[in-house]
Order: sequence, then structure tokens, then C-alpha cells
Amino acid sequence: MTTPIEIIESDDPLANPWRVALVRPDGRPAVHETDERYVMTFPHLILREIILFQVVVIVLSLAAILFNAPLESIANPVETPNPAKAPWYFLGLQELLHYFPPVVAGVVLPALVGICLVVIPYWRVNLEGAPLWAAPSRWKAPAIAASVILLSILFAAFSCWPIVIPTVIIGVAMFAAHAVRPGGRWQWLWGVTLPEWIMTWFVVIAVVLTVIGTFFRGPGWSWVWPWMDAPRG
Amino acid sequence: MTLRRLFALSSLAFLIVLAFSPVKNALRPYRALQRQFRVVGIARASSGKAAEVYSSRPIAIQQVWIPELNNRVDRCTTCHLGVVDAAMTSAPEPFRTHPPTFHTPRDVQRFGCTACHGGEGLATDEEDAHGTSADATSPILPTEFIEAGCGRCHDAEAVRDAPTLSAGRALMTKSNCFACHKARGHEDFRADAPPLETLSMKTGAEWLRRWLSNPKAVDANATMPNFQLTGDDIKVLSHYLFARPVPPQLQHAIELAGAEPNGDSARGKTLFAESRCISCHTVGGKGNGSAPELGTIASRASRGWLIAFVRDPHAFYPQTKMPRYSFTDADVRDIVAWFEDELKDFDAPADILTPLRVNQTFAEKGEKLFKSAGCFACHSGVKEGERFGPDLYGIGELKATSLDFGKRSDLPRTLAAWLDAKISTPRSFASGLKMPTFAFDAAQKRAIVTALLAIPAIPVPDAYRSTPVQQAAIVPAGPVGEIMTRYRCLSCHQIGRAGGDISTAPLTFEGSKVNHDWLVNYLAVPYSIRPIIAERMPVLKVSKEEAGKLADAIAMIYVDPSTPDDPFLGRPASDHDAAEGERLYTTFGCRSCHIIGKTGGYYGPPLTETKARLKPGWVFRFLQNPQRWRADVRCPNYGMTDTDALRLTAYLETLAEAPAVPVAAAAPARKEAAK
Amino acid sequence: MTVGEWVRNTSVYRSVIRHGIAPTNRNRSLIIFENLFLHVHPVKVREKTLRFTHTFWLGGITLASTIILVATGILLMFYYHPSVPQAYRDMKELQYVVDNGVFLRNLHRWSAHLMVFSAFLHMLRVFYHRAYRPPRQFNWVVGVVLLLLTLLLSYTGYLLPWDQLAFWGVSVGTNMAKQAPLVGERVRFFLLGGNIVSENALLRFYVLHCVVLPVALLLLISVHIWRVRKDGGVQGPPDDERRSL
Repeated sequence: MTTPIEIIESDDPLANPWRVALVRPDGRPAVHETDERYVMTFPHLILREIILFQVVVIVLSLAAILFNAPLESIANPVETPNPAKAPWYFLGLQELLHYFPPVVAGVVLPALVGICLVVIPYWRVNLEGAPLWAAPSRWKAPAIAASVILLSILFAAFSCWPIVIPTVIIGVAMFAAHAVRPGGRWQWLWGVTLPEWIMTWFVVIAVVLTVIGTFFRGPGWSWVWPWMDAPRG
Repeated sequence: MTLRRLFALSSLAFLIVLAFSPVKNALRPYRALQRQFRVVGIARASSGKAAEVYSSRPIAIQQVWIPELNNRVDRCTTCHLGVVDAAMTSAPEPFRTHPPTFHTPRDVQRFGCTACHGGEGLATDEEDAHGTSADATSPILPTEFIEAGCGRCHDAEAVRDAPTLSAGRALMTKSNCFACHKARGHEDFRADAPPLETLSMKTGAEWLRRWLSNPKAVDANATMPNFQLTGDDIKVLSHYLFARPVPPQLQHAIELAGAEPNGDSARGKTLFAESRCISCHTVGGKGNGSAPELGTIASRASRGWLIAFVRDPHAFYPQTKMPRYSFTDADVRDIVAWFEDELKDFDAPADILTPLRVNQTFAEKGEKLFKSAGCFACHSGVKEGERFGPDLYGIGELKATSLDFGKRSDLPRTLAAWLDAKISTPRSFASGLKMPTFAFDAAQKRAIVTALLAIPAIPVPDAYRSTPVQQAAIVPAGPVGEIMTRYRCLSCHQIGRAGGDISTAPLTFEGSKVNHDWLVNYLAVPYSIRPIIAERMPVLKVSKEEAGKLADAIAMIYVDPSTPDDPFLGRPASDHDAAEGERLYTTFGCRSCHIIGKTGGYYGPPLTETKARLKPGWVFRFLQNPQRWRADVRCPNYGMTDTDALRLTAYLETLAEAPAVPVAAAAPARKEAAK
Repeated sequence: MTVGEWVRNTSVYRSVIRHGIAPTNRNRSLIIFENLFLHVHPVKVREKTLRFTHTFWLGGITLASTIILVATGILLMFYYHPSVPQAYRDMKELQYVVDNGVFLRNLHRWSAHLMVFSAFLHMLRVFYHRAYRPPRQFNWVVGVVLLLLTLLLSYTGYLLPWDQLAFWGVSVGTNMAKQAPLVGERVRFFLLGGNIVSENALLRFYVLHCVVLPVALLLLISVHIWRVRKDGGVQGPPDDERRSL
């Protein structure tokens, strides 16, 4: 027994997915002409790819000849180095541990970052790409100002200045877009979208924390200046 | 077109860069050295065949692999190609032959190189192998401290051919290092510093102040280090020490003694000299120096305390090395009277022995300080397994980069420099450090650093461990043990591994060595066997009865089973040839050190009364190998045959007469023996 | 007849490569679509995507370092035992005895750093160019997973030399994992094969580093690159008219 194919008929072009094209009253059905030039993949792209590979190998080989990978003495569970540092890409996290309870720094914040990264392409605000101040709104400025201030206070409560300072700077930069002259060298500030502001904020914090964790932390996770002779312990 | 040119260029660069590493690999320095070694070897070869061996040497990494020694791989011989090659004795480094030692070249395949020298055995380039860079994992031992290498396997305090190491280990024990620091083999170390209960009746506030501010300045023999106490520290500590209650019995004894009439100072002086107190103490710097200086003793301790103490030191200070002499009450009074007359610090203020009036608040603070400064570690003993300072386990293999140099930016970043500074000026690294300052001289520091560097992180496997045969230190229980404890035989004599080294005569096998009757007389009235040595057996006033008991026990217990009673048993009669023995005595030049009759040297003990003193079996064994019982015996090992040793024994056994008897009278007896 | 011509006329060559070498567009097309590896590319590409500033070649750099890592990693596996203390001993052997051993290890190490670094930058480039927008949403998610895999690979490899740096770096990292509520302890136990960083952890990290994670990475890279073409090729900066307002 086969069920007969059910055919849906609809007058509504928006509801019917089998449309070819939708022409809105304010537009005309015309092919968007591009003056894009096409070139053959071989050799134009393939050669570039090979050159790229070779350059990467050359640079890395030179690095490998000039700088030896670190190798310390054999692992000794009894002798804890001070400070015991994770690989560099985790030093931002380790630096967070200095300010926040372990659950927050080690689990909550990294998980938040991971989730945020994954959901980026599924958020409307990310897809529209409209500059932050493009559509005038009564609530936007107060809301953003409040968020920046709240975040600053929150992180300041943990005395996490490496986050507070970038937060304040980014907050000021967001409002600075209002002050730039059209056509001036700061005009691009006007075009920055909200997601871009947030991502920049995140990147600046990540870089600052990682740099601090890598270079400015000594025994007992105390502050040291990398150019001074670090006390060993 | 530009793209293609770029591609050509990058391909070329790609190939060139990839060739770098193989070229670098082919130019490793050891290859050049091995080619150079061929040339050096061929030039030094004694024959064409030997030259052939050098010229056909492959260019390859050489290694000694010892799986049973912590899986050690030493590639030192990759460059040090002539280590066991006798032809390379004066060759340029790195090809030179290793100087001969007890273990080289014999044990190179068993020990490798880094077991003694340190360094990174796996490495095949100089910098890493020698560990010259600051972050090296295992730097090579500097030649100055090379004996530390011996100590990795040799556990004993005294190690033959390693005088610096042995001195360092002995000094660490003497300086009570292990009272604060845990170290392998010293886990149950007990410091023998005096208890402080009777201090308030012994001395005065001013003397204590001087002592606490710098013990060495008060008494050059002091073992107590300088804790660099401030005036306030000294004040509160003094109050605490004077506040401690004196045990009633001792208090009573001191008070009674203080009330006794004055003794005879002149007689005391004689007694003092007879008793050989300076075998341990010094007077004005003269004497052994292992016990306190007595030159100003009367300004250091009260009269009552001194009398009570000399009468029964063990009641005051159970761990003391001082024997309890069998002096009469009058003897002690006389000796102390002499102290009061002569052995005084005449520049000291009159109140140097005035006790302190205790302030309870200060005393409580002082008690805290007594704990926090670690005074208790030496003065009242510590609980099992607990030490005040950090452990010394593995200190000899600490990485220079893991050391806390603190404020000492002036030091080279090496373990040896760090250790040296730690024992010279321990508090210079940071404020708040607790280790006191010891007044070690340069040689002593070197010795201690050597001993510390010898403490490995991972102990060598048991098969490589050289632990001297543990001879039980037998002090028998019962009356004989009590006598031995009373007279503190072990303060000077060694029994097995225990005991002091003031005497050159260990008691371990004394029963096999001396005759019973001689020993009884000697114990009752000791005399100097080796007049050249200042440390002589004290006249302890041992009673005849006690001496008999001691001699009985010694003859029974302290016996070497390998020493025969009668060495001549079962030997041909010709071995009993005393005349031949006398000739040997001359041949071996024994005369230069030993006296017989009236002639001979003073270095060794006189042999005039050998028959009365020594047993023939012992003499025989001694002649075969003088270092048999004590490694530092100076009598040369002549490698005598049994026959020679027996003949010489036979000769020495004829020397029974008192020195007054003319040599001629003994001659017929020797002739008889020859027949 | 040159050697080249002779080679090209052999039946073996012709069975492998079916097109000629004349620089015609037909041959150039055949080069691309007759090759399994190259056919992720279209035969023709938009010229502006070749510009350096279009993508900064960051994905390419990441892929290049991945290839170097696989090559050097396989060579290093020949000299490595995941056991204690042999693992550390093997580092020393690489350094002192194995020909070019130092070079191999250095190259592997620096490539790993470059891979993490360029993957980060690649992600940022894609974000700022808004190249995650439809139809590329899913490929963005794949990319995030790839970044995670890269970090895990780097992290698991970090333990393998079994030196102090490795041991304590991993100890610090896994102690963070412990903080996760409910599952933290178990995840850590599962990763380490015990409660502390030990020989079991070394073995697990080794298997993860040499088998599980690389296989996952290579599969996802294939998906990632394939999706790039399916989603319309590399996306550079958003159109200029949309940028300025």
C-alpha cells in the first residue's frame, strides 16, 4: 500500500518553498552583474599554495635550527617548580585563576567563551552586520553604558584589573564613534558592529591575560618584570 | 611570470634550508675530535700494528652502558678517547689518560664516568656533557669537590683516599648539622649539647650574654654556632633560661658543694696534670680541643657547680663525653681550688657570675624564642622523624636553576657556590632565615660542601653501595657496661663504628691484642704508650677490681676471630726464628719509628715490652697488614710473607724484659729459640 | 627525444596522468579535477580571492603546519617510548644521538605553536570578515571544533617529553578540569588514568596525541575544506558598500 503523494497548493509565495524567484514590488528582476575576473586555479592558486607551504617550512626550519625546544630535567612529582606554568595558550586561564574562584576561572568562563564562539553564526545581530549606532534607538546608549559599567564593577570587585581596564577602554571607544568627523581618519570607528566590539573586547582581554601570565608572573604567581633577574625559588 | 620566478626562488630556498640540519649533523664536533685522535694515536703508536688500530677506528659515538647502575649511559668516551689508553698519558685533552686511582682503569666499565664525576652522560657535545650552561641539569663536579663523587657510593664517614669528604662528614656530625636537618643515615641523630636545667646555678647573666652574642668569642672550642641574636633576643632568652627550674637533687648537690671549705690549689694543679684533662679540654689553647676551654673556667661556672659537676658529670649531662673520674671529694675540691686561683678571666667584671633576676614576661617571650629559633633542636632533643630545618635528601644534585639565591645576586649560579654561601653566611640570602652562622675556615667549608655534594637524589643501587661491615658496638649490659659508661670509654676509643677518634687504639679487637694482666695494670695506672701524642689515656683512678672486671670482659668480648692465639701452630720451626726476625727488624727499618731499649724513633709506640703487652697472634696479623683494623695506621704495609711476619713476631715476642735489662742478657734466649 | 618526453610516453606514466603538459586551459582544468587532492578546488577561481589581504592565507598556514606536524610526528614516533623514564631518556637520545633528532623535535614543537597561533588568527580573520554568515554557519562551527582539537593536540603533546615543564604544565591544566562541578573529577580521572599525572597519563596522552586526535583532526579538516568550496569558496572582506554607511 502506498500513500498517494500529497500535493500542497498555495497562493502564498512566502509559504510555498518551490518558488523560483520572489520579486518584491520595489525591485526589478535583474541579474546582478559583476565584473569579477576569474583565473585558472592551476597555476595561479596552486603555485601560490606551494609557495606558501615552502615559506612556512623555510620559516619553521630556520626557527628549528636557531632555537631549541625547551627541555627541562626529568619530571619529578616531588619538586614543584615555582611557578608551575601551563602551556602559553592556557596562561590566560591560569591568570584568571589568580582572580576568580577555580570553578569560575577554570570552568564557567572557558565554557562561556566556547558556547559564545559556537553560537556566533546563529545570532541575528551577528548576521545583520549593521554598525552599532546605525539605527537610532533610545535605549541603546544607556543599555550599553550600563553594561560596561556593570561589567567593570563586577570585575573590579575581584580586583581583576587586566579585564577592567580593557572593558573601560572599549566602552569609551564605543561612544567615541559619536565624536569622530565623517571622512576623517577615525571614520572606521563608526562602522564597527556590536559583535565586533564584543569580540575585540574578548581578544584584547585574552591577549593581555596571556601576556601577563607568560611574562609577568614569577614565584607564587607574584608580579615580576621580565627584564629583571627573576628571583628563583 | 613573477609568480613563477617567485616559485623558483622559494623552491631553491626550500631545498637549501632543508639541507642545513644534515650539514650541521655531519659537522658535529665529536667527529672532528675523533679524526684528530686518529692522528694523535698514530703519532704515539709504538708499532705499525698499534698505528693500524688507531687509523682503523670508526668515527662513531662511544658509550659505556651500565643497566644495573640506574640504566646509566655514559658517552664521555666519545671525545675522551684515551681514558684507559696507556699510550695517551701526556696527550692533549680531551684524549689524556685518566690518572690512576683505586677505581681507574679497573672499574671504568662497571661505574662509567658520571657516577663519580657528575655531568650529563648521554650528551655528545661538550657544553651539555659538562653542564657548563646555567640551566644544565647535571653539571660536572668541579675538581675542587671531586671527592663528592666517592661519597655517592661510600656511605661511611671515613672514606679511604677521600680525606676532604671524610673531614667534611666528620665536621657535619661534630657541628650537629643533623640535629636540624634530616639526612639519610642520620635519621636518629641526637645532638649532645648540654641540657640547660642547671644553668641558673652555673653561671651569671653577663657570661650568658657574652656567650649568646658569640659563643666562639668566649670559647674557641665551642661547637655552638652564632645565632646572631639581637640584644632583646638575648635578654628574653636569658630570662627564660634563668627561669627554668633546677632539678632538686642537683640543686642540693651544688649548694652543698658551694658550702664546702676551700681545697689545696697546688695539689689540684698536680692532679689536673696527672689526670690528662687536656686529652679532651684545652687550657690556654693547649690540648685536644674537643671539649671546652678551661683557661677561664672559674669565670664561667660557679665553684659549687664545678665541684658537683666534676664529681658526677653524668647526673648533670647524661650525653656528655666526660668520664666520671673516681676522684675523692677532696681531689675535686683541690682541682676546683686551682681553677679558682689560676683559671680565671682576670679582665672580666666582678659580676660575671651574678645570676639574673627573672622577669616572668620576658621569660615567656624567651621560651617562644627558644622554640622559634630552633635552640631546642640541640638542647632538648627532637621528636622522632621531626627536624627543625629542611631535609638534606638529594641536596648534592639540586639544579642550580631551582635554588633560591634571594638577595645574593653576587654569587655565580652554581650549586657549589650556593652551598658555600649557605654555610658561610646563611642569613645573607633573605631576612628571617634561621640557620645560625658557623665559623668554618676555607678548608672546612670545602670539606662540608664536598660532603653535601655527595648526597645524591637517587641513591646508587645496593650492589654499588659500599657500606662498611657493621660491627656491632658492643657495650655489654651489667656491671661491665656500667663501668665502661661511667668512664666513657667510647668518648675516645672506637668500638666498631661507634666511638670517638681521640685515641688511636680502637677497642673493637682489644681482647685479641693485649694480654689480660698487662691490661689490668694499665687500666689502674695508665701511662703513655705513644709519648709523641698529646692526647693520653686519662688517669681515671680506676680501682683494681674494676680494672679486673674490664680486662676480663675485654678478653672475652672484643675478640677478632681471625686472629690466632698461637700463630706458630702448625708452622715449620724455621718460622719461629727470632734471630732472623731481628734481622728483618733492621731490614724493614722499623727502628726509625719504634724504640727498643734506648734506640729508635718516637713516631710509633715503643716495642720494649711487647711480650708483656701484645699477643703474638695480633702482632702477626698486624705485620701482615698494619691497616687491617684501622685505615689510618701509618706503619707501612711491607707486604710481608707469612714466614717473615712470623719471624718478626717471634723476635718481638722476645722483648719481655723491662727496659733496664741489658740487651745482651736477652741474646742467649734468642739463640735458643733459633735452635 | 628528451628524457622528459620518453618518460611521458611510457605506459606507466600515461596510466597515472592522463592529460598532456601543454599549457592549455583544458590541461589546466584536468590537473585540478583529475586529482583527488586538488579537486577541492574549482577549476577557476575569482581573481580577487588570490590577493594576500583577502584571507591573509591564515587557513593555509594552519594547514601547512599541520602537514609538517604529521610528517615530523611520524618520524618522532620511531624514537619514542611512552613510558617512564624512557620517554625523557628518548628526548636526550633525540638530542644527542639521533641524526637530525634535535631538528625534528624543534620543528615539531615550533610548528605546533604556529598551528595554534595561526588557527586563532584564522578564526579572528573569519569573524572580522563576517565569513561565518550563511551559508557558512556550519563551517564556522566545524572551525571552532578544529580549534579545540588543535588545543587538545598541543596539550596532549605537551606531556610527552616527560620533563618538569611537561609534568607541571599538565598538572596545572588538569587541576583546572577538576573544578568542573559533578563531572570534573571523573573527567580528570578518565584523562589521566588515575588521580595524578603518572605513567598511565603518559600512555593515554600518547594514544590521544598520536591516534585519536589526529584522525579526528584530519577528518574534520577534510570536512572544513570541502565545505569551503561547497559554500562558495573563500570569503574575504565583506562587500565594501556594506562596510561604509
